[in-house]
Amino acid sequence: MNFRFSPEEEGFRREVRTFLADWAGLDGFFTQGHRWSEVHDLFRAMGTRGWLSLTWPEALGGLGRPLTYEYLLWDEVGYARTARNPLSAGIVARTLVRHGSDAQRERFLPGIRSGEIHFSLGYSEPEAGSDLAALRTRAERRGDAYVVTGQKCWQSYAGDMDYLWLLARTGAPDSRSAGLSLFIVELDAPGVTVGRLPIVDDHPLYEIHLDGVVVSEDRRVGPEDGAWALMSEALADERHIQFPPGRLRRDLEEVWAFLCEQGLERDAEVRSTVADLGVRVLEAEMHALRVLDAMLRGHDAASAAAANKVVFTVTCQAIARAAVDLCGPEALVQGTRPELLWRQSLWETIGGGTSEIMRSVVARADLGLGGQR
Amino acid sequence: MDFEPDAEQTEIQQAIDALLERHAGPARAIQLAAHAGYDQPLEDALHEAGFLGLATAGAGPLEAGLLVESAARAGAVASVAAAALVAPGLEWASLPRPIALADASEAGPVRFAAHARTLLLRDGDQALAMRLAEGDAAPVRSEYGYPMGALPTRSLDGEPLAAGSGATLLRWWRVALALEIAGTCDGALAITTAYLKDRRQFGRAIGSFQAVQHRLAECAIAIEGVRWLAREAAYHGAPDEAAAVSAAEAARVAQLVFAETHQLSGAIGYTREHDLHVFSMRLQTLRLELGGVGAHRRAVATSRFGAGAARG
Ligand SMILES: Cc1cc2nc3c(=O)[nH]c(=O)nc-3n(C[C@H](O)[C@H](O)[C@H](O)COP(=O)(O)OP(=O)(O)OC[C@H]3O[C@@H](n4cnc5c(N)ncnc54)[C@H](O)[C@@H]3O)c2cc1C
Repeated sequence: MNFRFSPEEEGFRREVRTFLADWAGLDGFFTQGHRWSEVHDLFRAMGTRGWLSLTWPEALGGLGRPLTYEYLLWDEVGYARTARNPLSAGIVARTLVRHGSDAQRERFLPGIRSGEIHFSLGYSEPEAGSDLAALRTRAERRGDAYVVTGQKCWQSYAGDMDYLWLLARTGAPDSRSAGLSLFIVELDAPGVTVGRLPIVDDHPLYEIHLDGVVVSEDRRVGPEDGAWALMSEALADERHIQFPPGRLRRDLEEVWAFLCEQGLERDAEVRSTVADLGVRVLEAEMHALRVLDAMLRGHDAASAAAANKVVFTVTCQAIARAAVDLCGPEALVQGTRPELLWRQSLWETIGGGTSEIMRSVVARADLGLGGQR
Repeated sequence: MDFEPDAEQTEIQQAIDALLERHAGPARAIQLAAHAGYDQPLEDALHEAGFLGLATAGAGPLEAGLLVESAARAGAVASVAAAALVAPGLEWASLPRPIALADASEAGPVRFAAHARTLLLRDGDQALAMRLAEGDAAPVRSEYGYPMGALPTRSLDGEPLAAGSGATLLRWWRVALALEIAGTCDGALAITTAYLKDRRQFGRAIGSFQAVQHRLAECAIAIEGVRWLAREAAYHGAPDEAAAVSAAEAARVAQLVFAETHQLSGAIGYTREHDLHVFSMRLQTLRLELGGVGAHRRAVATSRFGAGAARG
């Protein structure tokens, strides 16, 4: 056991910090939906440095670095609040690197690497949330193309994205996870309608209607009916960057600063609460590193990742709630920092798989408790 | 002792519900929230039907409390608690409505202040009724379920009550708050329960998973606790300890019900098309009012064990 990053890795962390200093004013982690053109520029600048393809094989234009570099990069970006890791360089690129055709890699990887093109995640549907295998959007085979019809919902940032990373049913209606395929669809293709959902705080979530959208066969990624394995793999593949502990460190620092501004830094209740939160932040970091370690070894990180998601998301809610609890109604005025933190934290235990589903993964995989769901 | 409403109380409750059914409800709340509006027609209807005078005329504070609870359960956008329970508790019957409640030691935004004609202000151990003109309290933007206003900065003409009235105001306010939280939690839980009976994942209703059932049941148990503590406190005329106890438990339960109903509703809970937010967001405002759980618990300790001597 060894709890230190190497000198090269620490050097990379410093390099990232220096780079991010120029983006200090960009609160993209929370406000990407309102500041996409700036966040897009940030991704382009990261692309220029090869940071969106850090771990891809060199033969595909990547830097061939270990996953640790990606972890450090997004940890720092999370701390700086500059952005969330983009889907394109995450799930999409990983799946294309492993399972894409040569033509698909040639077509999409350069634009992803440079930070130019971006994807929206087209998984959830009105009737398929936690139970993703129940999805109904159909991709009907017509010669060398598919005709896609259905409805997706809860797509983050879709209004600003170029493509939909679409999961659709190619098998029989009751084929569950054995009849699903992945596709890449232009978000401005004929038959695609992207609509903003009426979310309580105008959070940028969208619904997407697909009405007889023609998708050529060469836009199917991986085998027909074979998407489930690819998807699970890609999801687990991303867990070391999706929940950067840097975000939690920053959350707690901001809450502490706010409490100090209110003159509460010597209050015993305040100190005990923040101390408890400090413990939880470090605990979350250990879970994140446990995931990274499992992935570096090539182990199945699914249950470590599920545990990490629960700890991370519950902690970020606890930090945000403490600010509100300790500062009172002032923290509910729109535009204050604690209010933003609190509102942003509400989603975290639902999006990307709910806490209940994560706990079920731990119960079944780690504890062997059986049961179906 | 009798937990069942008597014939007269049943009749009052039915009349209240019938009126709220016509004039209030989540759809109305959503419509008003779009421009941070206030439901003056609802308040006027409650007044004309005599409900705002329940505490003094004929019935009593418990019946007024039932009104407060029911109005909250219906998502009413009107300052019912102040007019029906708190002002009468101070024997201040005919103040210009709407009435907003404020505490001079709290800096945050005040519910209903932007629309109020009277500000019932607690300033230390004194209560004051202050006239508000339109524009005195600037609206404050908030997503938390009520139209809010900032306390006016200019000094207002106020009519003070005797020393000690500040504590009376606080006691009734705490009881009112607990009743509002009970009703608002009812609203949030009812919507969530109905949704989860309907919503199917993994081939069955989500509400049929035992892990989900236990959490909803825990909410239901907690809300019953708050309800009866608050009703009892109203019945006894808001004694110090009972008032603080009901507010302390209510503020705790408000956060529990907020967290559980949202988590178990999934993403749809945050859309304006789903009614949960009408109730849930209010729970945040209510649970923080008057200093929140911490302040209510300190009041419980003080009323039960005394303030304690300072250690020298
Ligand atoms: C901020 C945010 C961003 C999102 N972005 C995207 C996106 O970009 N693309 C995309 O495709 N989707 C996205 N989603 C959707 C997300 O994946 C779903 O919300 C999530 O999978 C849960 O589905 P649901 O909301 O339908 O909840 P439901 O599945 O209806 O679940 C409701 C509740 O029941 C619980 N539950 C369900 N089954 C069980 C069980 N067996 N046992 C115990 N409890 C259970 C759940 O945990 C939850 O608490 C996003 C969601 C959010 C909140």
